[in-house]
Amino acid sequence: MTGGAGIEAYLCQIAAALPGPARNRDDIIAELRSGLLDAADAYCAGGYTPGEAAAAAVAEFGDPRQVAAAFRPEIAARQARRLALTLITTGPLIGLLWITAATASHVAIRDAPPWHWPGMPPAAPVAVPLFGAIFLTFVSAAAATVAATGPLARWLPSSYRTAPATAAIAGFAAAAADLAALILLASKLASAPASLAPVPVLAAAAASLTRITLARRAARHCMTARAALS
Amino acid sequence: MRAETLKGHLDGMLLAALEAGPRHGYAVMEALRAGSGGQFDLPTGTVYPALRRLERAGLIRGTWAEASGRRRRVYELTPAGRRALADERGSWRQFAAAVTALLEPAHHPAAP
Repeated sequence: MTGGAGIEAYLCQIAAALPGPARNRDDIIAELRSGLLDAADAYCAGGYTPGEAAAAAVAEFGDPRQVAAAFRPEIAARQARRLALTLITTGPLIGLLWITAATASHVAIRDAPPWHWPGMPPAAPVAVPLFGAIFLTFVSAAAATVAATGPLARWLPSSYRTAPATAAIAGFAAAAADLAALILLASKLASAPASLAPVPVLAAAAASLTRITLARRAARHCMTARAALS
Repeated sequence: MRAETLKGHLDGMLLAALEAGPRHGYAVMEALRAGSGGQFDLPTGTVYPALRRLERAGLIRGTWAEASGRRRRVYELTPAGRRALADERGSWRQFAAAVTALLEPAHHPAAP
């Protein structure tokens, strides 16, 4: 066996044990490969044959399961952080789409509780407070995730299992907020469909449906990554 | 030296290995090994996740660079990393001085 084949077989074992998106995994594997080749070069310089040098490099790097396990909390944290940041940046956009849809559909925004606004759908007295609670959950879970996975983490007492959980909560909360908005839309469709402005309403509904699908999937990935942490 | 003994101080030592200038992962490991007189025998593969964690915490910055025909991920300290290293160093000195004072045999007779 030549040196390169031994190193590639070792990298395959690690890659197979790494969860998460392929782009992330490829970057990790590329870095390990360059490190293994550096190690093999050092053993070659010390008089080893290429085959022996590759075997020594692989032995020095350690059990592939142990190396993959050491990467897992890191991958889970990155996944959690990316989900939270994506939700935080896209959230206001979707909110703006719904506000546009509401104003274009003759909902008059006034200095009163939202469910008293003229033109509001009949489900508003339930959906609006529900939406408020979901929004608070989302903001605190997303903020906790970002704090626990970035520079602030040094001053926070948190385990590496926390961020994937709070990221999943933020993802499910975002999906729930979309569901609440869609319920409001459905009740308006049932009561006064003629007052709806079709284009902005369709745009907002499409954005929310997309986010429900993507946010739920990403949240489930975070839960899977968390479950894989020992 | 056992991996558990090392673990609590690994971050500080990795930062220290980058203090003199940017290094790639394998060079960081060689610096740890040489600097400890061969005392640290943790698997080289586990140094890489630790570097990624420090990068996420904003203490080091990693970039891919081409050097002598091979692409390597090179790490350097950020200003926050330099401050963290100084903190780590200060608290280690205090701790080491206290442990030394307690563990070393006393050079003066006990008070009566």
